[in-house]
Amino acid sequence: MSSHDKAAPGPTVIPFGPQHPVLPEPLHFDLTLEDEKVVGAIPQIGYIHRGLEMLVEKRDYLDYVHVAERICGICSFMHGMGYCEAVETILGVQVPDRARWLRTFWSELERVHSHLLWLGLAADAFGFENLFHASWRARETVIDVAEETSGGRVIFGSALVGGVSRDPDDETLRRCMKAIEPVRAEILRLAQVWIGEPTVRHRLSGVGHVSKEAAYALGAVGPMLRASGVDYDARERGYEAYGEIEFKAVVETAGDCMARVLVRLGEIEQSFRILDEVVAKMPAGPVAVPIKGMPPVGESWIRLEQPRGEVLYFVRSNGTRQLERFRVRTPTFANIPAMVEAIKGVSLADVPTVILTIDPCISCTER
Amino acid sequence: MIEREVLTVEEIEVGGLIPTVDALRAAGWRIIQVLGISGTDHIELNYSFGLGMRHRILRLRVAPEVEVPSITPVFLGAYLYENEIRDLFGVKIERIAVDWLGKVYDPVEGGAFSKITVTATSSEGGPR
Repeated sequence: MSSHDKAAPGPTVIPFGPQHPVLPEPLHFDLTLEDEKVVGAIPQIGYIHRGLEMLVEKRDYLDYVHVAERICGICSFMHGMGYCEAVETILGVQVPDRARWLRTFWSELERVHSHLLWLGLAADAFGFENLFHASWRARETVIDVAEETSGGRVIFGSALVGGVSRDPDDETLRRCMKAIEPVRAEILRLAQVWIGEPTVRHRLSGVGHVSKEAAYALGAVGPMLRASGVDYDARERGYEAYGEIEFKAVVETAGDCMARVLVRLGEIEQSFRILDEVVAKMPAGPVAVPIKGMPPVGESWIRLEQPRGEVLYFVRSNGTRQLERFRVRTPTFANIPAMVEAIKGVSLADVPTVILTIDPCISCTER
Repeated sequence: MIEREVLTVEEIEVGGLIPTVDALRAAGWRIIQVLGISGTDHIELNYSFGLGMRHRILRLRVAPEVEVPSITPVFLGAYLYENEIRDLFGVKIERIAVDWLGKVYDPVEGGAFSKITVTATSSEGGPR
């Protein structure tokens, strides 16, 4: 018997990503395995760092909103809106009521299309291609509405310091809500598959568990946090029109992949109800106030609830047209420690599914 | 019912960091983020914590040669922020519980976000 034969089998390190069939963006893991079970995971980012935060020092503070909208291709409007809200706080500007309600409209539209995109990708991660295609087909109608009301399908381009740059008329908004009625019915049908299909439950239930205590201690946000039983949704801060809308955070308690699906399914239906309310209550009036001159010296901190979770914006002005510092703490960045926790203990075959259930956006993360 | 956000910013010294975060943890606060801002002769660290709609920021200004204790023994979820700040700003953060050894943004040169110039540093331990 050779010395090689006598050696006890040790842990195996498997590289995962950054190019992987189920990962839409570059993220690398060194997965430490014992047999088929993951016992450790070290993530690595840094493949698409674009220096967008530093770019604020070179651009006019009013123009930078176009850069902020491009931090992420999915949460683009909310990134632009968060930047605007932070700058407006320094300026002491109150945006018109109609602009606040239109911002809420586009925010919820973005939440629906983001969650539908995610549902498709998650289904694809465990090989359910019909569910993937059905989710993305439903999403098409939602982004058609985004295009009709904002001018953009993914990058809406309607965020503006002092308000919004587009003003769809009330008739257009009502027609758009009618157009997405069939999508609501389709999502209810898809929800039955997610919840009732045994193969789906087999891949998701009890997999990638994060306890309530761990989710909270690790600083998780969004559906990742709420699926573990923590009742926190930054929209309750009451920004834009949320202070005038009735809603409650969608919370599940199982803390596994299925719970994260259920939170997002619940949030899609909740977003449709908010959209109904927003269109019904849409006030008349202007959609922007003119912004002139330089911002005063000051700083502001803003928290919003994006589809992937709480995002934080920090802006500091030195009194010139170029801001001194802009910071975005994105939801994916906050969720990476919880994602590492969720991966530990699962089998190698479940790793893509668990990663997908945090809805990772690495472009956001690296800014 | 909609709660309104309450934001507080508190300046602290390096020695007061761990006792303060210990007290926050005991009171049920969660880590939101850690932000680095480079001045010309110091780095400003802003630790954000949340409890419901309350948002509390601890602000710390440190010279480049000063070592800052990691808050990861108290808030483990801070490890990614601390690794990022060490990589991008060159801040010396001691004993991060999950240490990525300068690999958060692997292709980015260490201390890339620091504006501290060589002449502004008071020792050889300044950022690159």
